[in-house]
Amino acid sequence: MKTQRLPLFQACAIAIAAALCSAPASAQTRAETMRFVTGGTVNTLDPTMLGTTREAFTVGMSTYDRLVSFGKKKQGDNWVFDLDKIRGELAERWVVSPDGLKITFTLRKDAKFQDGTPVTADDVKWSLDRAVTAKQLGAAQLLTGSMTSADQFKVIDPATIEVTLPKPDRLALPNLATVYPIIINSKVAKSHATPDDPWAQAWLKEHTAGSGAYSVESFKPGEQLVLKRNEAWNRSADGKPAAFKRVIAQTIPEAATRANLVERGDADLAIDLQANDAASLATKGKVKVISTPQYNAVSFISFNTQMKPFDNVKVRQAIAYALPYDDMFKAALFGRGKPLFNATWKDGPPSADFPIAQPVKLDLAKAKALLAEAGMPNGFETTFSFNLGQANVAEPMAALIKESLAKIGIKVDIQKLPDAQMSTLINEKKAPFFTENIVAWLPSNDYFYRNFYTGNQRWNYSSLNDPKLVEIAEKARFEADPAKYAAYAKQLNAMAFELMPQIPIWQASQDAVMVPSLDGYVYQFHRQVDFRDVARK
Amino acid sequence: MSLLATTLRRTGRRFVSSLPALFGVLVFTFLLMRVLPGDPAVFFANGGSSGKEEIEMVRKQMGLDKPVPEQLLLYLRDVGTGKLGRSLTTGQQVTADIQQRLPASLELTFSALLIALLAAVPLGIWAALKAGSFIDHAVRLFCVVGVCVPTFVSGLLLVYVFYYMLGIAPDPTGRLDVFTSAPPHVTGFLLIDFALVGDGAGWWAAFKQLMLPAFTMALFVLAPIARITRASMLAALGSDFVRTARSIGLPAWRIVVTYALRNAVLPVLTILGIVFSTMLGANVLVEKVFSWPGVASYALDALLASDYAPVQGFVLLMASIFVLVNLVVDILYSISDPRISIE
Repeated sequence: MKTQRLPLFQACAIAIAAALCSAPASAQTRAETMRFVTGGTVNTLDPTMLGTTREAFTVGMSTYDRLVSFGKKKQGDNWVFDLDKIRGELAERWVVSPDGLKITFTLRKDAKFQDGTPVTADDVKWSLDRAVTAKQLGAAQLLTGSMTSADQFKVIDPATIEVTLPKPDRLALPNLATVYPIIINSKVAKSHATPDDPWAQAWLKEHTAGSGAYSVESFKPGEQLVLKRNEAWNRSADGKPAAFKRVIAQTIPEAATRANLVERGDADLAIDLQANDAASLATKGKVKVISTPQYNAVSFISFNTQMKPFDNVKVRQAIAYALPYDDMFKAALFGRGKPLFNATWKDGPPSADFPIAQPVKLDLAKAKALLAEAGMPNGFETTFSFNLGQANVAEPMAALIKESLAKIGIKVDIQKLPDAQMSTLINEKKAPFFTENIVAWLPSNDYFYRNFYTGNQRWNYSSLNDPKLVEIAEKARFEADPAKYAAYAKQLNAMAFELMPQIPIWQASQDAVMVPSLDGYVYQFHRQVDFRDVARK
Repeated sequence: MSLLATTLRRTGRRFVSSLPALFGVLVFTFLLMRVLPGDPAVFFANGGSSGKEEIEMVRKQMGLDKPVPEQLLLYLRDVGTGKLGRSLTTGQQVTADIQQRLPASLELTFSALLIALLAAVPLGIWAALKAGSFIDHAVRLFCVVGVCVPTFVSGLLLVYVFYYMLGIAPDPTGRLDVFTSAPPHVTGFLLIDFALVGDGAGWWAAFKQLMLPAFTMALFVLAPIARITRASMLAALGSDFVRTARSIGLPAWRIVVTYALRNAVLPVLTILGIVFSTMLGANVLVEKVFSWPGVASYALDALLASDYAPVQGFVLLMASIFVLVNLVVDILYSISDPRISIE
């Protein structure tokens, strides 16, 4: 047989082509890399660690898989996560038993950890056991899905695991899609466990042992983290690997610098800019600004219902009619978000959602009348506290509140507190009147009420103690019939308005500012970017 | 006694006498952090569903469940064995964090000090030579502006002009462009490390990155150095020996440099020591604006989060550096004016 020799000119052409191709290689790495800039820092590679920052959640999402993950849906022009559309991540499929007490997961056969070993049901069991028993954040979260003990997880065969629930719980499955129940390579983790640290928490803080879309290339806490794509991973929504070869997550404390970087195209994506920077970037039109009202978060003005004079519901209602909502919305948020005021309700709350727009608006005459009814026609003195970390938004808000309440005789002293101090004050229930934000990863109506309006824990900001509300919220949790659930939810919404422990004011927008070539951004439950969602067009 | 021996003896004595002060700083910071309002355990147990139990867990992890005197003893024991505790903000050992971040702060401060010296000393001399003239006033105005404008304003302004508008400066984030790989760690000073491996491109990248923050810092400390130089130069120029030198017709540059400047340099050295120590701490705004991974911004973040260990570590570090700088200034003193070391 004759070997065909490559003609000289063809060889030359190939050589030249190769030379040409190698020239833009460095530019190509830039295109295949996403540079994400954020104000906060990643402080651990194990998202379940106590004290985990929000930025660390997004790393956990990329480096580990969970059994399931959330789908996405359109909200206006934007994509947001969908609580009701769960899809498999490590689980290929799952079956819920007719009584709702057993969920049986079948694992994907091709799933491998980053060290090449297959993901087995034993790994899943070890990881879920860790999530409910080790001293970390997962236990409290999974409790909201009725998963509290290692006995509830059973290995059926190497590819099948069964989760047993004491009661059918609508939030059991969604809970497995949150950032805590990560599936860890149990053999690797166990080899780094010690008698004092059976769950390898110390080691996993600085190392990862997952099956996720990315592995950690380098990690400098407080500076930057570089992620490298796991080529074997194919669990994105369309069954492909993640789009970017590398992701650099960089901490840049100065918001103005982050805005400049994205505007000049040196960084690809930022989500936590100041509202005014985002507004001006949007009008300049050089970058893409995706503004999504945070539909699982609410900003509140809260009272301490156990403290005088706010133990009187009339006082709370009086203030609700004395807040300059429109001005606050403009001054604090530049109108970027979804207002939760100025609504009209005909007979009761119009929706079973949470939060819904409240039928309150600025009405000083009504406020004065309510204050007189409360027995305080001449008003009183109080302090309004907020977190320094939120000063951008809270400072103009506080000034407007002070001005407006002065008109009905309430003298407000504004108290700005560093974050740690504010958390302490709230935890000790010592702040009478303040503003805060709440976020629910699983934004179903009863979840909000159970977590933020009941109990003696920190998240019950208003210290509300209403047995009837507790009872309905608990019933709603296990209600399988959607119509009955909606009825309970509406009842809860009505009660929250009557009792007025807090005044929901708005859902601030999350502004994701990115270079125009970036695509696929989804607003996620943890209010961070899931790097697996985004790609360059 | 020889000059060297005297200097060494003085240095040793000064060092030993500063140890009680360091110990005092250690205990004082420890107690101060604990009386500050704000409970770190509550702050760090911030997960979506953390309750009392999580808060207690963090408290135990940080050792805050023990009585304060016991905590202090444990802390002193740790410091004695070279441990400064773990930071919850970064999740690292404080000693590791400081080791990693101190070179960044020092490199920035030294560069800024060098720039400030190169600019301020000639300016001061010039102003002194032309005392009362237009130039004198212009120098004064320049210095006043430098000291009046807060560093974060001048920093952001420099960023705006040189990065955002002109595009000459690299993006103002950290010590090195994210796409440049760092040199092997030898001293932690990027300029030195790059030079050691002979990586010109890397050196240039690090140098460019350093310029804006260093200039911002230098602007801030220009004033004290220039003013002191001017004042002590004026005093020296008006003294008898300069008059004598002039009268015997020595060249002007020789009078200014050898006779006046050598004598005027002592107060400048004193102020340099102080300026250096304050700069290292006052870097915080510059470090924030330029995302410079230094110790000052690290300590500020920790303070806001009531993260005890890093703040305590930082204060101890600053106190030690202060002691060290004073020693160095002392040595420089005796070199520049041997009379001082005579006891």
